[in-house]
Amino acid sequence: MTTNLTDRVTGVFLLLFAIWYGYRTTLFKVSFMADPVGPRVFPLGLAILMGVLSLYLIIKPDPSPVWPGSKTWIRIGLITLTFIVYAYLMVPIGFVLSTTFEITALALIFRGPPLKSIIGAFLLSAALYSLFDILLDLSLPTGSVFRGLWG
Amino acid sequence: MEILNFLFEGFAIALTPFNIAMALAGCFIGTAVGMLPGIGPVNGIVVLIPLTFALGLPPESSIIMFAGIYYGSQYGNSISAILLNVPGTSAAVMTAMEGNAMTKKGRAGPALAMSAIASFFGGTVSIVALMLFAPALSKWAIRFGPAEYFALMVFAFSTLSSLSGKNLIKGLLATMMGLMLATVGLDPVSAVDRYTFGQLKLLDGLDFVVVVIGFFAINEILRYAENIHDQEVFTKLGRVMITAKEFAMSFWTMVRGAAIGFFVGVLPGAGGTIASFVAWTTEQRLVDRQGTFGTGDIRGVAAPEAANNASANGAMIPLLTLGVPGSETTAVMLGALLGMNITPGPLFIANNPTVFWGLIASMYVGNVLLLILNLPLVGIFVRILKVPGWFLMPAVVAVSFVAVYSVNNSPFDILLMAAFGIMGYLLYKTEFPLASVILGLVLGPLMENNLRRAMSLSDGDWTYLFSSPIAIGLWIAAIASLFLPLIIKRFGAASEISKEEVN
Amino acid sequence: MKTKKFLLILVVLLIMVLVAACAPAEEPPPPTQGEATQEEAAPAEEVSSAEEAAPAEEAAAGFTPGGVECIAPANPGGGWDWTCRSVGQTLSDVGLVDGTVKVTNMAGGGGGVAFANVVTQQNDNDNLLVAASPATTLRLAQGQYGEFTEDDVRWIGAVGADFAVITVAADSPYETLEDLITVLQEDPGSVNFGGGSAIGGQDHMKVMVLAQAAGIDPLTLKYTPFDGGGEAMTAMLGGFVDVFPGDVSEVLGQLEAGEIQVLATLTADPMGGMLEGVPTAKEQGYDAEWIVFRGFYGPGGMSDEAYNYWVNALGQMADSPEWEEQLQQGGLEKIVRLGPEFEPFVSTQITNFRQLSRDLGLIE
Repeated sequence: MTTNLTDRVTGVFLLLFAIWYGYRTTLFKVSFMADPVGPRVFPLGLAILMGVLSLYLIIKPDPSPVWPGSKTWIRIGLITLTFIVYAYLMVPIGFVLSTTFEITALALIFRGPPLKSIIGAFLLSAALYSLFDILLDLSLPTGSVFRGLWG
Repeated sequence: MEILNFLFEGFAIALTPFNIAMALAGCFIGTAVGMLPGIGPVNGIVVLIPLTFALGLPPESSIIMFAGIYYGSQYGNSISAILLNVPGTSAAVMTAMEGNAMTKKGRAGPALAMSAIASFFGGTVSIVALMLFAPALSKWAIRFGPAEYFALMVFAFSTLSSLSGKNLIKGLLATMMGLMLATVGLDPVSAVDRYTFGQLKLLDGLDFVVVVIGFFAINEILRYAENIHDQEVFTKLGRVMITAKEFAMSFWTMVRGAAIGFFVGVLPGAGGTIASFVAWTTEQRLVDRQGTFGTGDIRGVAAPEAANNASANGAMIPLLTLGVPGSETTAVMLGALLGMNITPGPLFIANNPTVFWGLIASMYVGNVLLLILNLPLVGIFVRILKVPGWFLMPAVVAVSFVAVYSVNNSPFDILLMAAFGIMGYLLYKTEFPLASVILGLVLGPLMENNLRRAMSLSDGDWTYLFSSPIAIGLWIAAIASLFLPLIIKRFGAASEISKEEVN
Repeated sequence: MKTKKFLLILVVLLIMVLVAACAPAEEPPPPTQGEATQEEAAPAEEVSSAEEAAPAEEAAAGFTPGGVECIAPANPGGGWDWTCRSVGQTLSDVGLVDGTVKVTNMAGGGGGVAFANVVTQQNDNDNLLVAASPATTLRLAQGQYGEFTEDDVRWIGAVGADFAVITVAADSPYETLEDLITVLQEDPGSVNFGGGSAIGGQDHMKVMVLAQAAGIDPLTLKYTPFDGGGEAMTAMLGGFVDVFPGDVSEVLGQLEAGEIQVLATLTADPMGGMLEGVPTAKEQGYDAEWIVFRGFYGPGGMSDEAYNYWVNALGQMADSPEWEEQLQQGGLEKIVRLGPEFEPFVSTQITNFRQLSRDLGLIE
């Protein structure tokens, strides 16, 4: 592994992104009533600038950072997975329950003691729910699957 | 003299026990909602408006409480920024960067104390300015048209290099990313949808809260996953006060910060982000001789905090004298005032002296209250850091979820937040400055839209951008700020040049 | 140990907020429950609702509201938010709804996110009102809500309206609408219109409707969009823009101070109050009208019982003195169109907008 591979890869990625981003501007549906500059010019300018700058990055890269080992990546993957599951669970099972699960899961990933994690997670979720939903009047999901139970 | 008379009357109103209680309540609520990321003063005020009507509170008492919430939240939002690296608003990004670096060095106490003191300083100085110059400054704000706003944005971006860290190219690329993220959504000028891929939820663009929570809070979690400590994340809390030396060192920083913040705040729409950012970059250029800015320099906390609070007071000027709200919060306050049959506008001060002077006086009172409230709380807040990492980090995630979800009541935003978290982590690892991305995201629309407005008004005549004294002044300032570092470098002692500047 | 400490801090924080919230009221703000739990909730004993509550007669007709929610499809502070909050407040003040109406802000896509949410997720919710205005119908007409159309929801009624006005700065060379139109007829590009909505949005449409009525090609007008009416008006005061086609509620403060003048109201009849003596565009020979109604739609699957209940409830509420007061505070006029009257009103408006947008080349 060369010491500056990371920046080169990043540069190539950004270059491709800039090309794609610039190309997208041609797909905008602009009516003939638009302003003199129009919605295309600004993004197109950004794409060109980014293209040039990313070339520079490819030519003059910095030394690569120290990337973490596979253990960390597995952890990061797990954490991300809990986020995704959470996003889909939140509305059906409600904020308190889903957040309790989420915090417990993360606490376990971070090597917390299981029992304490669960209790802490539940108390925090309930506290957050009361704080936001009741006091600040921001509606958090109560859980649509339970609607029949006490409706 | 007349002003003093009015001010005495104002204090007579603000210092009634009832109104002090109102101000205190407002400060409490404001600090609390400010601490919670994504939840701003808007939420606090909106909840309380019906209550003030229902109770038939006199207008001055209501507005005193709302103002308390407003600047209380300015104090509050630096707390989560400093301790947990979770800025609740875009204005707190600089505070997060500098203050959290201090926290990681075990100096959370001084950072919090400095933030409270700088907030007090910026707040108090700007009230004096508000009191003396409100009508005159509203005339100044009116003279900012699209060309002037565009020049202001160019000026803001011209100071970017000081944010760029080791590699200027990466700083610029990061800004580009922010500007590109800002183009997502329905173009506010021609109503064309850009980069939404048919997602209705993206039509309003990426919400700042979603991006910033992903970039800072989630990124922080992922970094923690690299190296899990069994004990608390931070072992040292540091003193809870700043030293006299630190105060003396930061004094002029706060003065300049307050001045910058106030004038930027007067411009509707510009607000705290530009204020705190420009204040920080100015100080970085003027006083940072050892290259310590960005790595936990206490002056780097003082500058944005003073600016931020000064701009919050500055923003009261367009609200009260033009009836134009410069931010979401002032928009809600406008609604509240209208509801009390008070119409903010050029005649506001003349028609409602009790409300205006009561408000001014209560701002003095409120800032004192906030300082008294916040300094002792520093000792309590830093204890949060003593919570073991396995619980603190998930707790931050939970709070982030609430913040992100309540932006649009949509779980989709949580997915977006996770994506930005990973992006933030990768950018952090590859040393792209995250603050530049945020700045691009926040200022991008202002820059593009004002450019297009200017071109629309002038039928595409580019000279329009340089056609007023204010605009020309800002262009000169932008050019100066590009070359100022070079000049300083030439005259500064060679041994003191920071690594950034060499590169 | 550590956890306890943290929780302790949390509890302290909670108490802090509680204390703060109570301080002004000596009574906590009425708790609002989520949809599911509200049914069993006792009517909240909040300050103003209980006393004069007369049970609504319609309750007998097979529907009793419970856990009522109002979606404001924008952030707090705008017209939709006002609609939800003021109507919600009045409904519970006059006892047409037990307890409070919960306001949910669901910003996004100019109301599109809320529209999609209602159609796809809450189609059978009998206790849901969504704030609407011409911004809603205009976007529906221009197909900006994606696949959804006006037939996917039930239009309940309008209870108030704001009115469009054509304003210029006090020192403007245009003193009457006639002056402005004359200049426009000669050189339409010489007048800078600045409004608070995008190209093809409400403020732009107002001037195009006016131009059409005056026989000027609307496409030749020069319109610059700003972020909201306030910014557009500031730009006019600064001399960057010549004409601001705003709403009455946006211009009152500056009008009172004499910084701006109103050339015409785009209303059917001349207005009173501060606009006493300002002629309508119609009176000056240009048949242009633009009414910014404030009303509601409900989910398409709302039961007839619930629909009728809400139509009646809004009607009763609109006749109450409490509502008069709310309108006055909001700077609005009372315009009531309900149920069977509102549905054709909306569909005519959408048809007109669609035709207009097509004429203007904004849609195909």
